Amino acid sequence: MKELEELNLPDDIRYTGDHEWAKITDDTVRIGVSDYAQDQMGDIVFVEMPAIGDRFAKGDQFGTLESVKAVSEIYMPMSGTVIAVNTTLTDAPELINQDPYEAWIIEITPADPSEYDQLLPAAAYLDLLKG
Amino acid sequence: MDTTMKTTPLYPWHVGRNAHMAAFGGYEMPLWYPSGAKAEHLAAITAAGLFDTSHMAVLTLHGPAVRTLLQSCFSKDLEQCIGPKKGPIVPGRCVYGVFLDAQGQVIDDAIVYQCSDADYMLVVNASMGGPVVAHLRQHNHGEAGAVIRDHTGQVGKMDVQGPAAARILSHVLRDPAQVFAQMVYFSFKGTFDPHLLPAAPVTLLDGTPIMVSRTGYTGEFGFELFVAPAQIESLWNLLLAAGEPEGILTCGLAARDSLRAGAGLPLSHQDIGPWLFACNPWLFVLPWNEGGDDFSKEFIGGPALRAAKDVPCTQAYAGFDPRKITLSDNSRVIAADGTPLGTILTCTTDMAIDRVGGAIVSIATPPEHGRPQPFAPRGLCCGFVRLDHPLPPGTEVRLTDGKRTLTVEIRDQVRPDRTARKPMSTML
Repeated sequence: MKELEELNLPDDIRYTGDHEWAKITDDTVRIGVSDYAQDQMGDIVFVEMPAIGDRFAKGDQFGTLESVKAVSEIYMPMSGTVIAVNTTLTDAPELINQDPYEAWIIEITPADPSEYDQLLPAAAYLDLLKG
Repeated sequence: MDTTMKTTPLYPWHVGRNAHMAAFGGYEMPLWYPSGAKAEHLAAITAAGLFDTSHMAVLTLHGPAVRTLLQSCFSKDLEQCIGPKKGPIVPGRCVYGVFLDAQGQVIDDAIVYQCSDADYMLVVNASMGGPVVAHLRQHNHGEAGAVIRDHTGQVGKMDVQGPAAARILSHVLRDPAQVFAQMVYFSFKGTFDPHLLPAAPVTLLDGTPIMVSRTGYTGEFGFELFVAPAQIESLWNLLLAAGEPEGILTCGLAARDSLRAGAGLPLSHQDIGPWLFACNPWLFVLPWNEGGDDFSKEFIGGPALRAAKDVPCTQAYAGFDPRKITLSDNSRVIAADGTPLGTILTCTTDMAIDRVGGAIVSIATPPEHGRPQPFAPRGLCCGFVRLDHPLPPGTEVRLTDGKRTLTVEIRDQVRPDRTARKPMSTML
């Protein structure tokens, strides 16, 4: 497992205490899980994603990540409506382990873009991981 | 790490390789290495996996009273347990069974090895040396009784499992032809300590004594190896070097658990434990008589089993995709209409299998028996449930945690085409 110093935590995106990341671009937000999450989970073997059009509030569960040993629920960093899901993860769930920031899981239209400012910048997320 | 956690001698090796560590049975053990649990699971089926199992407990029993003591405490009838003709156990053979208490509940499962007329070895689970010794001592008869010794933490053990296991081992043994000659499933040769357990020696190239047992916990062909603890790291490195051309991978406990679940093997204190051992896939460990309608010997737990009626039944199952249920107080087995049927004991994913037209196919299944080419199995969830009433194999039930519900099928067997019993001559 990775030491905290070895984690890849890009600073142009934001994070949640549940280890999701969110990247805002113009009117949409892409969502995935952090390097810490994929390292802790180990090999991801199945991704359950929502349907396009599904609406969730911030903090709602929107899917699951299945590893060999366990099931992890994933939660919305922001409220919004799903406009895209990363279908490459259906046949290649391991892409999340290989590059958790390239392998986004869903894309949403945010209900309230200001919720992005409440998320943790990389330095604050790392502090949280250090406990 | 909690400082009361025990570690095996290879702990620094695992940490140095960035293994993902976790607590198991009182030991801080590798769950997986950077190779990942999926690759490790597949390696043990297609090539070889190397497992640090020094956390398991080795006990030895000595003296003329041992046989009687084991007959009273161990589930197998040692006089009728070897081969289709049910001969007695003899030096060089070993048997799998359970130790039951007077209520017919499992204390632990174990493999019993007969080393000589009056020397036996037992391998039990991590941290179970003390409880099993206490149970044996309770039924041992004073000065005329057996000498019982607990060697927990004093014997090095590692498992090499997979079709390449014998080829790999042959590179580290001084006389592999002698070791592998007539080496049937559940037999062993050599000793890790000739003073403790006399046996015809088997050595590594440098003369280190080793016990080689044709047993394991994966359902695949391979061996459990026993050496003095001072030799563990050296043997581990020798096997990795010898196995590299074959694709050997070190495997953690995640792969160990998914391999044994797909192979239909129980985990002590999870699939067998403090409940009546009366309806489950492992009743073959009980001492059945020729008619199969009663026991061939008296043993602790026997009367309770005879009296058993309408007991919950532990059965294996497999799902239709890799998804699992996390076990909790809310997880349970239900029928399609929501009727509660029982509890979930084990739920893991066997990464080597998938459904093809409803049938379960393994990466090890020959193409002529239904493995498509190419075949990239996604994995299937599998494990054991304990049902209030047994259900015929093929019956579909649902596993739920209150949020997620999965359909699974009750099965006799999960992963097909396992290699554990293949004739030695085909594996060299």
